[in-house]
Amino acid sequence: MSLFSFLGTLEIGFIFGLVAVGVYLTFRVLDFPDLTVDGSFTMGAALAAALIIAGINPYVATVCAVIGGAAAGLVTAWLNLRFNILHLLASILTMTALYTINLRIMGKPNLALITEPTVLSPFQSLGIPNMYLKVIFVAVVVIAIGLLLAWFLKTQYGLAMRATGANPRMAQANGIVINQKIFAGLALSNGLVALAGALFAQTNGFADSTMGIGTIVVGLAAVIVGESLFNSRSMLVIVVSCIVGSLLYRLAVSVALNADFIGFNTSDLNLITAVLVGLALILPHLRREWKARKAANGGEA
Amino acid sequence: MIRCEHLKVTFNAGQATEKRALRGVNLTIPQGEFVTVIGSNGAGKSTLLNTIAGDIRSSSGRLHFDDRDVTSLSAAARTRDVARVFQDPLAGTCGDMTIEENMALAYGRGQKGGLRLALNEGLRKLFREQLSRLNLGLEDRLDAKMGLLSGGQRQSVSLLMSALQPSKILLLDEHTAALDPKTAALVMDITDQIVAEKKLTVLMVTHSMRQALDHGTRTIMMHEGQVAFDLQGDERSNYGVKDLLNLFAQIRPDGEELDDDKLLLGT
Repeated sequence: MSLFSFLGTLEIGFIFGLVAVGVYLTFRVLDFPDLTVDGSFTMGAALAAALIIAGINPYVATVCAVIGGAAAGLVTAWLNLRFNILHLLASILTMTALYTINLRIMGKPNLALITEPTVLSPFQSLGIPNMYLKVIFVAVVVIAIGLLLAWFLKTQYGLAMRATGANPRMAQANGIVINQKIFAGLALSNGLVALAGALFAQTNGFADSTMGIGTIVVGLAAVIVGESLFNSRSMLVIVVSCIVGSLLYRLAVSVALNADFIGFNTSDLNLITAVLVGLALILPHLRREWKARKAANGGEA
Repeated sequence: MIRCEHLKVTFNAGQATEKRALRGVNLTIPQGEFVTVIGSNGAGKSTLLNTIAGDIRSSSGRLHFDDRDVTSLSAAARTRDVARVFQDPLAGTCGDMTIEENMALAYGRGQKGGLRLALNEGLRKLFREQLSRLNLGLEDRLDAKMGLLSGGQRQSVSLLMSALQPSKILLLDEHTAALDPKTAALVMDITDQIVAEKKLTVLMVTHSMRQALDHGTRTIMMHEGQVAFDLQGDERSNYGVKDLLNLFAQIRPDGEELDDDKLLLGT
């Protein structure tokens, strides 16, 4: 793997670290499996690209992208809480609607951001080569957000959000307004994913209507890889493990695609993803079974 | 003070499965009174507690705490006045969170959850003090996962949690039913301590006649969604388990035998 492709892998790994943290918020903290992210990732990219091309400041465009993603999350939460639509189905509905909305935002299936200013532009005068600058910028942003989120999950509000997912009845008996926490959690999660989309569009120079497909699987893969490596109750470790999980996942995919002797090409990405996620799920399970069997045999002897 | 006026709850109204769980409950419980609630299955004991807590909306009637009408208040809003402990030890705590996090949650009850850290050294000290009352050694395990504790330990911590914030009303729904007799006695001990210390108004549902008479200051028996008997003062102190069983027979004029073993055998 060349240095260039390694740096590219790190960059995308960090960006998808945000997706992983967002997915962790819904799947693990709120126990609300949310597939909206496939749409909100694209929405973030589409909004950022379209607004930048329209001449809006890239930072303002990025904030708008985050707000757009958060709004998408609120729609899913509303469908689920107000009308009792199953969470998975509610999120699939939003995701489907977003596909059209994203096309409308962009006006065509894809937008290129080659010469336009991006969030990176103010730093380009520092003289750091672009390929390093992109990685450093993305890493700083993602790590800072990760730290903020770990802190948030330890605040009174964050604790209440965790209780909402872990034991809603107990949460309510302690005066927590559950619905409010679910709305907030979904908005936060999809806002983070949209930010990832907006960063992706600006560092890779394009937004595409189909770029969000599989975002949820990649995010979940990172969460699961992180969980199987770190086993901790500390919020900081958990959030960091999501980001590390994302980096490792990207590296594994990159190695698989670059290993000529296996003969994979880029169109095999989805199979590789499925196999990697499958392994991350299967191996801990097998290890438990093996341990249990060993313990049982030891008991007999 | 809790005042129920003609409180009615009907489940599945208008359907074949319609169930009139509360059929006009009138009950006034003065501040500081400890009421034990007995009755056979389906008599409406838990429904009464859940209605007071706000989990269930009454179909008619009014509910007052002190002089405030709380009939239309949500469960979360009522937690300013009401603390509860459930029958299932798993229901009252979060198994995935640590002991201190669980206690911090309970400490935040009735407050606006803000963006301040939920835990700090001062709070940990308070939690350690409270936990040491249980004599279970939990004060040294603040960062242990709640899920690692036994049912009795979890229920004991739930009780402490219910008393971390000042509340006026404590609702106990068979909170010792899932425990072994020894642990149940310990938990009842702590219950009595906390109630006396905080001068709480208590409603405790129990399946045990013995427990109903031994604890508290007043006993009511629910039957078919209404308060069938209301024992207090001298009359109550002269009552034994046998007398309660006779009462049970009286409120069933059709001569139906008491078929609830737990009610008879419970100690």
